[in-house]
Amino acid sequence: MNATRPMPALTAYLSDVATNLSGPRRRRERILAELRDGLDHAVDHHTAAGLPEDRAVATAIDEFGRPRIVADAFAAELAVAHARHTVAWYIATGPLVGIWWLLLLNPRPWHTGVLALLAAIPVVPLIVVAIGTAAGTFATTGRLMRWLPEAGPRRALAAPITVAALALVGDLIVLVLYGRSALPVWPLGTIAVTTSLIRMVCGITTVRRAFALRRRIAAAHL
Amino acid sequence: MIPMRPELLKGHLDALLLAVLEPRPQHGYAVIEALRDGSGGALAVPTGTVYPALHRLERAGLIASDWETVGGRRRRSYHLTPAGRAALNEQRVVWEQFSAAVTALLVGPARPAMT
Repeated sequence: MNATRPMPALTAYLSDVATNLSGPRRRRERILAELRDGLDHAVDHHTAAGLPEDRAVATAIDEFGRPRIVADAFAAELAVAHARHTVAWYIATGPLVGIWWLLLLNPRPWHTGVLALLAAIPVVPLIVVAIGTAAGTFATTGRLMRWLPEAGPRRALAAPITVAALALVGDLIVLVLYGRSALPVWPLGTIAVTTSLIRMVCGITTVRRAFALRRRIAAAHL
Repeated sequence: MIPMRPELLKGHLDALLLAVLEPRPQHGYAVIEALRDGSGGALAVPTGTVYPALHRLERAGLIASDWETVGGRRRRSYHLTPAGRAALNEQRVVWEQFSAAVTALLVGPARPAMT
């Protein structure tokens, strides 16, 4: 077996595939590394069968198919990966935004009961729906899909759009409530407003990316 | 041999991939070769179909993968998980029932041998 050789035709081919891949960067890099290994194997296979290297490379590329078609085949998996990553990001970072608003709206949360704590958070229903959406997405796109109906890429992409929209609405509500209140500006008010504004910008980017991936899925006829 | 359309594989590709991985771990291209060679060339599954299908099976927890460096190449090798082994056994039973039913309809009931 040969180590990865500098074959310009393979590099150009994979570069064309990369241009047509959309989704999480790390996932795309792994796909390209795996395709490169597969192409190297195919070239080895054809050279062992007696073809000169340039023809073996051309045959391997033909065998894998046109870059656009190969990239289209990965579109569904990349869309689902994007949906899962994004939803996980929102669930992981939600408390980092929420804690500042909680401390601002209820400065001594550990002195109150659970109900009083929940009552202090004006967006609890939105948080519940977001967590439910996230749980449903993980269940129907992960290991539980062996028993549950599997979510296709379009349905999976609806989850980050929903969660991002809920976060946007939640952030807007707390920002408006804060603007109308006499709550302190520094330091908690400033930190809470900043974290919400950052998340709102991320939310707009998330929604745009998810819609771009949906268009990509539609173009790939998946 | 009459060539088989890739659409015919729909619904069976998962089971075929699990079956190919049953004896030992394999990398993506070896899986493609095993499908082709194991079926006498009848199942020439497009490359673009096999890699994403393997990724989907991994997401479902039926197979797992390891990255290794062999001869200077980064390689992803897939192997069956216990859940994948169980799913394969289940798929075999389903296939036996399905193929028996389809054969009965397409070929007809077994006829007595003519003397």
